[in-house]
Amino acid sequence: MRVRPLDIAAALAAAVVIVLTAVAVYAPGNAAPEVVISGAGGEWIYPLDTNRTLQIPGPLGLTTVEILGKTARVTDSPCKNKICIAMGAISSPGQWIACLPNKVFVRVEGRTARGAADTGAY
Amino acid sequence: MLTERRWNDRTDITALLGAFCFFLSAVEYMVPKPLPFMRLGIANLPILLATDLLPLPWYLVLALVKVIGMSVISGSLFSYVALFSLAGTMTSAMVMWLSRKAFGDLISAIGVSILGAVSSNAVQIFLARVVVFGEAARLIAPAFLAMGLLTGIALGVFAERFVAVSLWYARAAGAAARGDAAARGGDGV
Repeated sequence: MRVRPLDIAAALAAAVVIVLTAVAVYAPGNAAPEVVISGAGGEWIYPLDTNRTLQIPGPLGLTTVEILGKTARVTDSPCKNKICIAMGAISSPGQWIACLPNKVFVRVEGRTARGAADTGAY
Repeated sequence: MLTERRWNDRTDITALLGAFCFFLSAVEYMVPKPLPFMRLGIANLPILLATDLLPLPWYLVLALVKVIGMSVISGSLFSYVALFSLAGTMTSAMVMWLSRKAFGDLISAIGVSILGAVSSNAVQIFLARVVVFGEAARLIAPAFLAMGLLTGIALGVFAERFVAVSLWYARAAGAAARGDAAARGGDGV
């Protein structure tokens, strides 16, 4: 077996692409955090930097989660105490909002920490 | 002579390599995968070998047979997973074909295989991003591409060794070369 010049070039080119991709994906700082929402029906992941309004189903009804201006908050909930609404907006990895009566859990996670769980969840 | 005619007939080679694709897809399916999309890619071996054996139309037929074989065996023919397989396989088949034809002796099956595997995985990551996971798909990109590089090297090394020792390949390649010469108006010897 004889390794040819372009074999090495191909391997090096692939290695460069892999390293560049890894840097782009895992570099701290340029990764926007994500909003992870757990509800009765499953778990959803949304980027924190895209505005949207979500209706999360729970045993009591729909909990409305709003992602706006790189923060996430619960704006409406069928629960009695509305503590989840009172918890206000979250924006940094590690922060969370929980609505126990409606079994909705909203948390912000950094991208770096998500990798394994995300692919594993599939 | 019957044997000569058999080897000159590309449908025979296409069918045999297609059958290998089915068989290797089954072997591939048996191997446990740490992550859903992380395949060994051994079912691509016949396509890699075919770059020097088949003319482009039959080569593309073979790639299509591989997609169908893989999808039938994994039970994903009528799901979006088959779309991934189709896009990945066709892209890598074209990349392997072009790199083989463009670079000739400057590249061996190892380089061709690396380019094919990595391009296949890149296309599948792109599709995963557009069709299934959205932004989160980028998280799997580095590991998935690295897997492509490793399996590409392994498959290429195996193909090189196979080409070096296989009598079947030598006969098929000889027939392919004679066929090409005949097609160009040579005497076909």
